[in-house]
Amino acid sequence: MADIFSGVVIVATLSSGIRLAVPLLLASLGEAFGQRSGVLNLGVDGIMLLGAFGGYYTTLKTQSPWVGLAVGLAIGLFLGLLSSVVSVSLLAEQGISGIGVYLFGLGMSDLLFQRLVGTPLPVPSFQKAPIPLLSDIPVVGDLIFNHSIPIYLAFLAIPVCTYIINRTRFGMNIRAVGENPEAADSQGISVTRVRYAAVTIGGVLAGAAGAVLAIGLGIFQQNLTNAQGFIAIALVYFGAWRPIGVMAGSLVYGMVSAVVLLLKTRGIIPLGASDLAAMIPAVITVLALVVAARRFRAPTALTKPFIRGG
Amino acid sequence: MHIYRKPGFARLLAVLAVLALVATACGEDAEETPTTAAPAPETTAAPEATTDEEMPEEEMEEEMPMEPLRIAVVAPSASNDLAFTQSIVDAVNVIAAEHPGTDVAITDGTFIVEDAAAAIRGYAEEGYDLVIAHGSQYGGSLQEIAADYPDIAFAWGTAADTFGLPNVSAYTAASDEGGYVMGVMAAALTDSSVIGVVGPIEVGDAKLYVDGFHNGAIANGAGTVNINYIGSFSDVALASEAAQAHIASGADVLTGSAQMVVGAVGVAQGAGALWFGTQANQTALAPDLVVASQVYKWEVVLREIISDLASGQMGGEAYEIDLANGGLVIEYNDGFDLPADVRAAADNTVAGIIAGSINTMEAMMTPMEPLRIAVVAPSASNDLAFTQSIVDAVNVIVAEHPGTEVAITDGTFIVEDAAAAIRGYAEEGYDLVIAHGSQYGGSLQEIAADYPDIAFAWGTAADTFGLPNVSAYTAASDEGGYVMGVAAALMSQSGVIGVVGPIEVGDAKLYVDGFHNGAVATRGDVTVNINYIGSFSDVALASEAAQAHVASGADVLTGSAQMVVGAVGVAQANGVFWFGTQANQTALAPDLVVASQVYKWEVVLRQIIADISAGSLGGNAYEINLGNGGLVLEPNPAFDIPAAMMEQMGTVIQGIVEGTIDTGAN
Amino acid sequence: MTSRGPSEAGPRLRTQLLSYSVPALAVLGAFAIGAVMLAMLGANPFTGFWAMAKGAFGSGGALVETALKSTPLLLVGVGITIAFRASVINIGGEGQMVSGALASTIVALGMTDVPAAIALPLALGAGVVGGAIWGAIPGALKAYFGVNEILSTIMLNVVAVQAMNWLLRAPLIDPMEIERGTRIPQTARLPESTDLPLFVEGGRLHIGPVIAVLVAVLVYVLLWRTTSGYRLRAVGLSGDAARYAGMSVERNVVWALTLSGAMSGLAGSILVLGSEGHRMVTDGSTIGFTGSAGFNGIVTALFGGLHPLWTIPSSFLFGGLLVGAIALQRAAQVPTALVLALNGLVVLFVVSLDRYRRQVREREDRRISAIATSSTEDDESPKPLSREDDDDG
Repeated sequence: MADIFSGVVIVATLSSGIRLAVPLLLASLGEAFGQRSGVLNLGVDGIMLLGAFGGYYTTLKTQSPWVGLAVGLAIGLFLGLLSSVVSVSLLAEQGISGIGVYLFGLGMSDLLFQRLVGTPLPVPSFQKAPIPLLSDIPVVGDLIFNHSIPIYLAFLAIPVCTYIINRTRFGMNIRAVGENPEAADSQGISVTRVRYAAVTIGGVLAGAAGAVLAIGLGIFQQNLTNAQGFIAIALVYFGAWRPIGVMAGSLVYGMVSAVVLLLKTRGIIPLGASDLAAMIPAVITVLALVVAARRFRAPTALTKPFIRGG
Repeated sequence: MHIYRKPGFARLLAVLAVLALVATACGEDAEETPTTAAPAPETTAAPEATTDEEMPEEEMEEEMPMEPLRIAVVAPSASNDLAFTQSIVDAVNVIAAEHPGTDVAITDGTFIVEDAAAAIRGYAEEGYDLVIAHGSQYGGSLQEIAADYPDIAFAWGTAADTFGLPNVSAYTAASDEGGYVMGVMAAALTDSSVIGVVGPIEVGDAKLYVDGFHNGAIANGAGTVNINYIGSFSDVALASEAAQAHIASGADVLTGSAQMVVGAVGVAQGAGALWFGTQANQTALAPDLVVASQVYKWEVVLREIISDLASGQMGGEAYEIDLANGGLVIEYNDGFDLPADVRAAADNTVAGIIAGSINTMEAMMTPMEPLRIAVVAPSASNDLAFTQSIVDAVNVIVAEHPGTEVAITDGTFIVEDAAAAIRGYAEEGYDLVIAHGSQYGGSLQEIAADYPDIAFAWGTAADTFGLPNVSAYTAASDEGGYVMGVAAALMSQSGVIGVVGPIEVGDAKLYVDGFHNGAVATRGDVTVNINYIGSFSDVALASEAAQAHVASGADVLTGSAQMVVGAVGVAQANGVFWFGTQANQTALAPDLVVASQVYKWEVVLRQIIADISAGSLGGNAYEINLGNGGLVLEPNPAFDIPAAMMEQMGTVIQGIVEGTIDTGAN
Repeated sequence: MTSRGPSEAGPRLRTQLLSYSVPALAVLGAFAIGAVMLAMLGANPFTGFWAMAKGAFGSGGALVETALKSTPLLLVGVGITIAFRASVINIGGEGQMVSGALASTIVALGMTDVPAAIALPLALGAGVVGGAIWGAIPGALKAYFGVNEILSTIMLNVVAVQAMNWLLRAPLIDPMEIERGTRIPQTARLPESTDLPLFVEGGRLHIGPVIAVLVAVLVYVLLWRTTSGYRLRAVGLSGDAARYAGMSVERNVVWALTLSGAMSGLAGSILVLGSEGHRMVTDGSTIGFTGSAGFNGIVTALFGGLHPLWTIPSSFLFGGLLVGAIALQRAAQVPTALVLALNGLVVLFVVSLDRYRRQVREREDRRISAIATSSTEDDESPKPLSREDDDDG
């Protein structure tokens, strides 16, 4: 029992937490974009599933995880555009359209899988890419600088997204149309175009989240994401629509999951309590927010379709 | 208002998008359709066939019995395959000996149908008197060629169809007869009451033999006849592995049909299991252990064909070799000390078959009418786990009973939807409705009572609710778990073994408990870490649970339920060993899967179907286990399991089957 | 934004025709794609869809199945309506159904020798309470700790499924399962006194659908005819304005989620007490029990315009879609996955074209209602997904 505090185990557990966090992180970053612009997309999980299947299938056929990832992104782009058409142009009720996308993704990814693949076959995953020198630092090096490239990229996306949202004209427009689309519109900002862009970015990131998940696991299965897309939506609220907050939420959820797994594995959590223990990540995530709750305001125009002159 | 213009475009986009997705989804199927049309060209033979009605005069000129015949044989495997091809080559040689001067040409090893067609055409072109196309797969080509050469006689086997052509003879073997006789002997000789059969593809001659053998064995008290059609006529390695699997499942008598079984005979020899041969005398392959072989004497048929030729008839008849006409002969191995009573039983059986008092199809469980079977299962048909196990089994049943109609509703994890589907199938009058999910039991109890004329099966469960139309079936998955636990303990260097489970219930719990107990009983110092992740579907979490095991020093992993596909990948990536259950998981980690416990629900389904055909709709609870061959440990052929370990696993299996080892589950 | 009111006065005939033909066209569109998919999978689309229609609405038995499938959708939908009207989003229907069902099960298990007249109401009541608790938690977290309810309801779904797994695997498991060693995670059959009474003995139709419709009417009355309902909606319209008027926003948020959870809890309770098996069983997921009614209820509520009465037909149609899909799968023998994808398409198409229906209505609306509410509220909560400012009262 004592050796659970050994460096190797700690690193392995925290690395596990990072791996669990990354798909959540990508998906909820994307969702944050859309919500900032005033569009709630409940279909994240559906996009993730199709991105996951696309990434997996391409990797299976080309044996290249990178091509797979690219296809996952492309599928995300496509479905993001589709979601924009439905939510922005067709002014659909966002709660419903998202569930429609989810059901479609859930069924379609499974159907494609059954028809095109059949029996699950493993695919090559991303290679670990230790960063020279930094990865040699004891414990920390192994923990932070010894991952695959998509994981670095996911974390790199956080400052990039923060910058885009807070410092660029595009980010300003996103916030403007999310807060007061009428005002934005009167200033000549195309609400439609900005929301299209934001929702599509969300789709791309959700597709990426799915592809990273599937290729990282090296396998696909029906309902591979197991509703992670919904957890990702929850984490947007944890992170109060801010990339750094979203990262915190993903890491809390991922890390707690990993620690619980370790404790179960070592028998510290008795067998009989294994399902009770499986609640812990969800409970801690909520409690963390109770303790550290800061009252952020949601984008005012969230879920409200914009009709010019409406 | 600009928003008025966009939707049209946007809608189009959406439609196109969906269509594009749909197209990719179904693309494969679309491509498949042309292939189904491929056999069509056969119809072009029809007009040509009419031309040969003018031919009889030419025929008359050629019918010269005195003249030495020229006979050509085209056959798929090697002339010395000790099986199918050898049987015809031997027969032609007999004919040649009987008719000195007969010119014999042989093209063997032509497993490529197009090559065979070229050879057949070539011999016809060269004017051979009789061209024997010895392979049922050659029929399509032969139909074309024979029509083109109306003055050449062709023979096609094993087949019963002459295409209505006057210059084609067909010949076949009633191999079920000898199979039945050998089944009788096998049932008498087995100690474990488990008999293994290795077949190629469930077609023609091989199927007849296997069915006859099965029926003979079952009718004479064999407990279990495990039949494994490996899907190939040529894969000797696979046949050998299939035989290994039979041995691992406790079989002590084996048989098999077709040329690839030479590998299997070797396995029988290595394991000391008895072997029954067919098609040719296979004694040479295992001089101590071959009990008898059913030998094909095609010369019986060839003589008739030649006499037809002599009398001016070039074909049009279908012939059969059987025990009565001496075309099938049981040849006993003198080197094997066959008990007199068994020999006597065999002789009586032969007499009975010839006299018609024994029907080789009798023990067949085919009900008179083809069955309609419906399956309702919770996860996907291709989950490499629970649902796949029943779907595979039902497919086996379909293969055994052609004409069986199967309807499958998979992915019905919603219990009330499953109930609706079960009720729907019952309403539609399916003969057997299989509720493959322990969570369906509560609903089934109600539904089955409402449809007393429909047979239901429920698994995995042990309770029939006292209803006469419900069968229950369950898997003693702790047995295979125990065996693999023993193996895992022997393989582990670190002494730490990791288990990834879903929720601590039912089948998964049985397996995990068995595995744990097997490991601990084998090595006192082994630690088995068990991690129930709380989900049947969370692949990512299962993967991380496996990572946590590896981080905790585990070098052997196992796990149960469909979400473990994620964990197997971790085993592969970290170079740790994996033991699978429910389905053969070798494909997921080809180097590191040691073995999988595979569910063969067909063992149970056969019994349920037999009950139904005997008029009983249910009331029994069945179990698959190592003893009855419903649970099979399938080792990974690519993984080099040490002989000592294999042996110990065998001992443990035997112990469990005999009841001397208690898996300690429950 | 404003949208149509289901019972607004005097819509012109043309408007009405237009507004109802659009969803029908949308369904046709989705089915056209479905037909292509079916054909590509080698199934005959016409037989398939015929089976679907027959399976959902084609016979008395089919209508019963549809009614039963619609029951949880309606109850959850009504609950969603309450929450969304009060400007709180409840994505926790799944968890609330499970907790309601568990509470019902526990109470029912203890009712072995109690007559039905007492046992059944108690068991149903327990379901209401169980769901209400599961709704009150996120309500309180939101009101007093500022934890967004979307986050907490999703997380509580995760908690509920594990609670269910543990309870059914350990304390509540049928003792026979341990004795036999099969260990199926299910309770013993619940006492017959807690079975939902059937209309026709030997039939399938129990009183669940009737309860659900009554509840929908009751909620309509509550929201539009009582002060408490008025407060809920007022808080939903503008938190600040309500606060100004002396209402406790916090208390109303808790109340809305509690009521919303209670509805879902009742749905879960009816699912157990009216199930084929009359016992609770888990396959390790919530969906296995709820059939996703906790999510799909959102769809039916929004299609019903967040109006309890319109949610009744909306649920019935959606329930028909789900029941028909099972029949389609059985008749066409296509993978169940196709049916799921098809359901998604239907939802997407209908919601996409819904705009035309609403546009037609809006022109009407604009003439009637003078000014839309100001959008400059500084409420911390997100806006409701859809809001009808037109009051029937």
